[in-house]
Amino acid sequence: MTPDTTLFRPTSKADLDAVAARWHEGQATKKHQLLVCAGAGCVSSGCHAVKHALLAAIKDAGLGNDTVVHETGCLGSCALGPTLVVQPDGVLYTELKPEHMKGIVKQHLVHHEVVEAHCWVDPATKEPVPLLSDIEFFHRQTRLVTARCGSTPYASIEAYIASDGYQALAKVLAGMTREQVIQEMRASGLRGRGGGGFPVGAKWQAGFKAKGAEKIVVCNADEGDPGAFMDRSLLEGDPHAILEGMLVAGYAIGASQGYVYVRAEYPLAVERLEVAIRQAREWGLLGPNVMGTPFAFDVEIRIGAGAFVCGEETALMHSVEGKRGEPRQKPPFPFERGIFGKPTIINNVETLANVPVILRNGGAWFASLGTPKSSGTKVFALAGKIENTGIIEVPMGITLGEVVHDIAGGIPKGKRFKAAQTGGPSGGCLTREHLNTPIDYDSLVHLGTIMGSGGLIVMDEDSCMVDVARFFLDFVQDESCGKCVPCRIGTKRMLEILTRITKGQGKEGDIDLLEELAANCRETSTCGLGQTAGNPVLSTIRLFREEYEEHIRDRHCRAGVCSDLFKSPCQNACPAGVDVPGYLALIAAGRPRDAYYLVRRENPFPAICGRVCTHPCEDKCRRAQLDEPVAICDLKRYAADYVFANDEPHRDLVFPKKAESIGVIGAGPSGLTCAYYLARLGYGVTVYESLPVAGGMLASGIPEYRLPKEVLAKETRLVEQVGVRILTGVEVGKDVKFEELQKKHQAIYVATGTHFPNKAEIPGEDKAGIAHGVSFLREANLGRAVEIGSNVVVIGGGSTAFDAARTVLRLGAQKVTVLYRRQVEDMPADPREIKEAREEGVEIIPLVAPVEFLGNGSVTGVRCVRMELKGFDDGGRRKPRTVPGSEFVVEADMVIPAISQHSDLPFIDRDEVQLTKWGTLVVDKETMMTRKPGVFSGGDVVRGPDVAIQAIADGKRAARAIDRYLGGTGVLNKGEEIPIPRPVDESDVAEHERFPMRFLDPESRRKGFQEVAAGFHRLNAIAEAMRCLRCDRR
Amino acid sequence: MTNPVHLVINGRTVRAESDWSVLEAAKHHGVKIPHFCYLEGVHQIGSCRICVVEVEGMRSLQASCTIPVREGMVVKTSTARVKKAREVLYELMLSDHPRNCLSCFRNQNCEFQKLGEEIKIPDCRFEGEKSKDSVDASTPSIFRDTSKCILCRRCVTVCSEIQGVGVLGVNNRGFKTTIGPAADLPLGSSNCANCGQCVMVCPTGALLTRADMSPVWNALFDPKVRTVVQTAPAVRVALGEMFGMPPGAIVTAKMAHALRLLGFNDVFDTNFAADLTILEEGTEFLNRALSAVRGEPTVLPMITSCSPGWIKYVEHEFPGQLAHLSSCKSPHMMLGALAKTYYARKIGADPKNMYVVSVMPCTAKKFEITRPEMFIDGRPTVDAVLTTRELARMIKEAGIDFNSLEGSGFDEPLGLSTGAADIFGATGGVMEAALRTVYEVVTGREIPFPALDVTPVRGLSSVKEASLTLEDVKPEFRELEGFTVRVAVTSGLKGAKRLMKEVADGTAPWHFIEVMGCPGGCIAGGGQPRPTTRTIREARMRAIYAEDAGKPRRKSHENQAVLALYDDFLGKPLGHLSHELLHTHYTPRGRFNELTPKGS
Repeated sequence: MTPDTTLFRPTSKADLDAVAARWHEGQATKKHQLLVCAGAGCVSSGCHAVKHALLAAIKDAGLGNDTVVHETGCLGSCALGPTLVVQPDGVLYTELKPEHMKGIVKQHLVHHEVVEAHCWVDPATKEPVPLLSDIEFFHRQTRLVTARCGSTPYASIEAYIASDGYQALAKVLAGMTREQVIQEMRASGLRGRGGGGFPVGAKWQAGFKAKGAEKIVVCNADEGDPGAFMDRSLLEGDPHAILEGMLVAGYAIGASQGYVYVRAEYPLAVERLEVAIRQAREWGLLGPNVMGTPFAFDVEIRIGAGAFVCGEETALMHSVEGKRGEPRQKPPFPFERGIFGKPTIINNVETLANVPVILRNGGAWFASLGTPKSSGTKVFALAGKIENTGIIEVPMGITLGEVVHDIAGGIPKGKRFKAAQTGGPSGGCLTREHLNTPIDYDSLVHLGTIMGSGGLIVMDEDSCMVDVARFFLDFVQDESCGKCVPCRIGTKRMLEILTRITKGQGKEGDIDLLEELAANCRETSTCGLGQTAGNPVLSTIRLFREEYEEHIRDRHCRAGVCSDLFKSPCQNACPAGVDVPGYLALIAAGRPRDAYYLVRRENPFPAICGRVCTHPCEDKCRRAQLDEPVAICDLKRYAADYVFANDEPHRDLVFPKKAESIGVIGAGPSGLTCAYYLARLGYGVTVYESLPVAGGMLASGIPEYRLPKEVLAKETRLVEQVGVRILTGVEVGKDVKFEELQKKHQAIYVATGTHFPNKAEIPGEDKAGIAHGVSFLREANLGRAVEIGSNVVVIGGGSTAFDAARTVLRLGAQKVTVLYRRQVEDMPADPREIKEAREEGVEIIPLVAPVEFLGNGSVTGVRCVRMELKGFDDGGRRKPRTVPGSEFVVEADMVIPAISQHSDLPFIDRDEVQLTKWGTLVVDKETMMTRKPGVFSGGDVVRGPDVAIQAIADGKRAARAIDRYLGGTGVLNKGEEIPIPRPVDESDVAEHERFPMRFLDPESRRKGFQEVAAGFHRLNAIAEAMRCLRCDRR
Repeated sequence: MTNPVHLVINGRTVRAESDWSVLEAAKHHGVKIPHFCYLEGVHQIGSCRICVVEVEGMRSLQASCTIPVREGMVVKTSTARVKKAREVLYELMLSDHPRNCLSCFRNQNCEFQKLGEEIKIPDCRFEGEKSKDSVDASTPSIFRDTSKCILCRRCVTVCSEIQGVGVLGVNNRGFKTTIGPAADLPLGSSNCANCGQCVMVCPTGALLTRADMSPVWNALFDPKVRTVVQTAPAVRVALGEMFGMPPGAIVTAKMAHALRLLGFNDVFDTNFAADLTILEEGTEFLNRALSAVRGEPTVLPMITSCSPGWIKYVEHEFPGQLAHLSSCKSPHMMLGALAKTYYARKIGADPKNMYVVSVMPCTAKKFEITRPEMFIDGRPTVDAVLTTRELARMIKEAGIDFNSLEGSGFDEPLGLSTGAADIFGATGGVMEAALRTVYEVVTGREIPFPALDVTPVRGLSSVKEASLTLEDVKPEFRELEGFTVRVAVTSGLKGAKRLMKEVADGTAPWHFIEVMGCPGGCIAGGGQPRPTTRTIREARMRAIYAEDAGKPRRKSHENQAVLALYDDFLGKPLGHLSHELLHTHYTPRGRFNELTPKGS
């Protein structure tokens, strides 16, 4: 502040304009304005040290006269702090340290070159993006109330005035009546940003009409939602705007006293607000004659002790009065009887920050922003599983998907979006199917949640929704004022039930109890805190009921969070429940043979799964949080390879026979698994397989280069070795009647899979040269003669598509192109397959869809249309849409559509069983039995196309179910127990990427069907196994 | 005062005053809404939510005790939604309550039990952590078992709003919320006055009077001990309620009879000491008044000291003003002192073998007898204080059919009293008794009120004032000719605080103030039968005045036994022996019962 302005007391717009002009002149004399973000986040990550280093560097470079350094409020990109914006160039530097400053000053300020090393890097492209305006996080925002945050020094009243500050006040005092001010607020449609969304104009009107010699305006800055810090950012970054909003509110309702109720946890906000209040008083903007008019208004800060409930307005009023912060019955409403009995209007920080914007630009202008019923913008605090956390301001009506995927940068580590919690502990969840939902007050209420004050917590597949509900209940339970019974005891009982469920002690009926208690809280609590306390529970039950049921019924937490329910996250993620840390420990201990048999207890196909498993275990590996997940799947293969290579005699023995026999239809992974475990229980088991080989999809669908026939045969033999009879080339319904099997066997397990390709359903699909994926692969894999083209187009993005593409390449195709309607990262195929295919020369054209097969008689090409991704589908993936007029032709002499496949059950009377609309068999969830007594089913024929490990898991479950059906206990004979080595003390958990496995080079691969992956070297295998963090040691 | 409004309750349009709550309106029109924390005229904060009702246009259910009536409001008090809500609420409360009812002191006399009778639930489905589990036996008067506390907060309201003491408050948040002194200190470490008004409103066994029946039974069963009992004036008009009689039933004779049946050797009456108090205190007042008119240093107004709750309160709150207190012990302490000296000598008993029991309407008396300044020769003069409730319990335990007792009188010499002593039990009574005697002593004439009833100091108003000019005085009091005695009477510590502020500020216009710690005086003491409502207070008060009116002698200075006591033993009021046996001194205390006065 320059001395000549200290006693300056502006009384008009012209006075303010003069101040602004002087400020701008001062800034214009500098070549660069350097803006250091000093929001609380950046302060804690060391922005002050950065600023000092910057000043020193400027001084050393002799640029003191050419540059000015400002401390600004929060830029919003808190995870990137400390940050520096160099103006007027608009360059953003992130994650700065003091030692970077010299370089930046020299290179940027002296040599005018951007220092890319300190620029933000786009996680998708891995490219640095120097300009703030080029970063999606910023340029998709609309910054009205946060405009000054990150751009204007918060501690300077001149800077505030220079950016239109106090213009709204001047306008109001220069001739607007109180009614006109309220009318303007009504016209704006502004709704309270604190959560309830009550129209501000209506509230002010009530305050204006209320009778009372003295009235009060309160700024509610008791922001308490977990993860929310919008109000703190505004107070820290633009304190004068809040004061100006309060002044206008005070003028409108006729109040002369204002309070800012702010929590003690916000010392920086309090400090900066105190400075602003002092400045405003000195400048005559607060006090007995505001801007020289008779309007008197002053503001005091009241510091709260950080009770969440004090955000509730009646509790806040009690707290301001010096009483215990507890809500009371409304009515009477605060505007009727407020603080010390005086009419009181309470608005939150963001609401008040909107007031000057509205008064400056007009209510009608404001109403044109956002949606008709939710005008303007909303500030959100983004937290949770997203790339870009921090503060954003977006127009009302933006979709959740845009916020999560475009602004927040999506979910890290390729995980999937699962849910977003809005409204903090009083709110609820939005899920994948809500990504296209516009975010506004009414849409959110319609979906069972609320806007709240703007906390937005994003969760991915690793979040357990029962645990999320438990977390919020824990919070609410702690923060309840303790007055009302439902909120004090009800929330505790809900928390206890939830805790019990997450510990695997859930009981049937718990969900009903939770719903009852949540309803009771909502119905009978005095205040909003209690009334909404059960919302997270109700919301998660409504949207994720099956997760609750899994916890209670199966003692299973699919997200791998509730650690009392499992040994380790990897084992929990494995559908077959393989003891992953156990076998890794055995490998690490140099006991691969024991490792193989440990796997085999739960899964009879370690060698197969070691090659083709989609390894959901690795997605949950804790090691990923350090560097990369352990190569669990490859290590399983290593153990199997070791056992096979050493050709040790098999340990399995003959089991005492039982009288009952079981027929299994289909020798795929599911049928064989079921047969294996049933045989080990002593049942006579016969497997009927229509193909000439056993293995199902493993034999017909997976090419030899991924799964050698010999490996499949070996593990199939091991199944036979326990007494299972496999009859290949026997087609049920043709070679043997289903009814005969029913007579012959006491139970039947139908596991026939999905071997029939879905059609592309576009014109020309009957042309020669068009072979569908599964059919083509079956013929090729069974060694039958297949005709291939030289220029082949494969349609699809799954494993079948890539297996077909690589097979046709190996069979001699010259050019293979894969067409996919989404992006490569959206492909369901394993990334390793995609990578290998590309190495082998397969081309991928993403974002296209076929519309017609061309050619006379034989196919000559595919007419395609380009796709763009717009919005989201129900599964949370971006939705492809055709780009009009973008048609083009891809030439081809062979086309392999590999879209999906379905099952066919010609041998069963469809009227006797129940089928879904996808043609899959309906079975009882618990017993796996179809409508026909004694006929069980599992695997793809029930699930639709799925992965091998799920089929194996089903086979195992079916074995238990069948045993129970036949009077057994359902306890499987898994073989001998294998003691697991105790973990060696791993105090040194140094980062280390995966140990390499050997692969065939792409050139030799293309020449034939030799296995691509060549397995681990023993030393690497042991080392890799030692990367396991042994999450099971507890 | 207010404009009536109309609302619809269960389909019926009813009229209500605009400042009523829905619960009050419903009650007025005969609609019963179950409620629990609500206490008429005292406490309505809507914490238990049991009284919730449906209000048209409001999303959630509303606590009918806190929601004000509004014109056109449509209320339903008994719907499936409401019923379900009440059941779950009761079930939740029960889940945080120990269910050892059979061994609870409040068994069959518990409002929570009664609520369970009203709101039947088949089962308590919520088993979980209990929020509170502590016992506070730090005071001789009040016993707290927080595990039974259901946080209705009536005690908090009574302590802070009615009594103005504010010891009991709400601590912590959420499920950990507790009721108690600040920082969860024990009551004994607080400025609790031991008035027991919290105990009177507690619906469960969370706040109890400390039970002293066991030592009394032991003394009664011990043939070597001479047991002496005395009963306070307020007990005889309330004890009957414990045996199903209507409030205000006078059971003086049955009570004396029952005490004999219990085995007490001497059944005395605290009323005797009340008359004695008037002589001592009246003399003290006259001396102070005389000093004042003479311009000699003295302290006025003088304030009564019969109420030990009041005494402890003033020691904490106004430790600099203790000189205003009369130095007289409270009547039962006087009688205790005389029993172990005068009476012991008279019957030739060793005071060591005497056991004096006071039956009192008061919980603070239990603390009072432990004050070291009350001890004589290192021994307490009163060994145990029983409340009205405890006496009733002992009578029941002994199998005495109270209602059919014939009745008997008190023993001499410490059992005789005048009507002036009876009215000690009601607020204003001490003042009235004192004025009857002082006026007559000074002027030689009866006090100029019809039938001696000093009506201005009677009744339940918080503060009552009166003045009386002394004219045509006896020659020995000529200095007081034309002196207008200005008196004030208050009951309840909130009123006392109001008066004491003026006393401390030096603006108090009165010469003599009567303070009783409990609102309404001893008839509504913390040891009296529950409930004690305004109606019940009035009934007991009427009984007290009826006792007075029915007595042949109604002025303390006419009590022949008291006069004989002076002749035989004490000499004269404020004499040396009086000073030693009947007077005491006070202890300045701080805010948390530390013995360091504030502001001194």
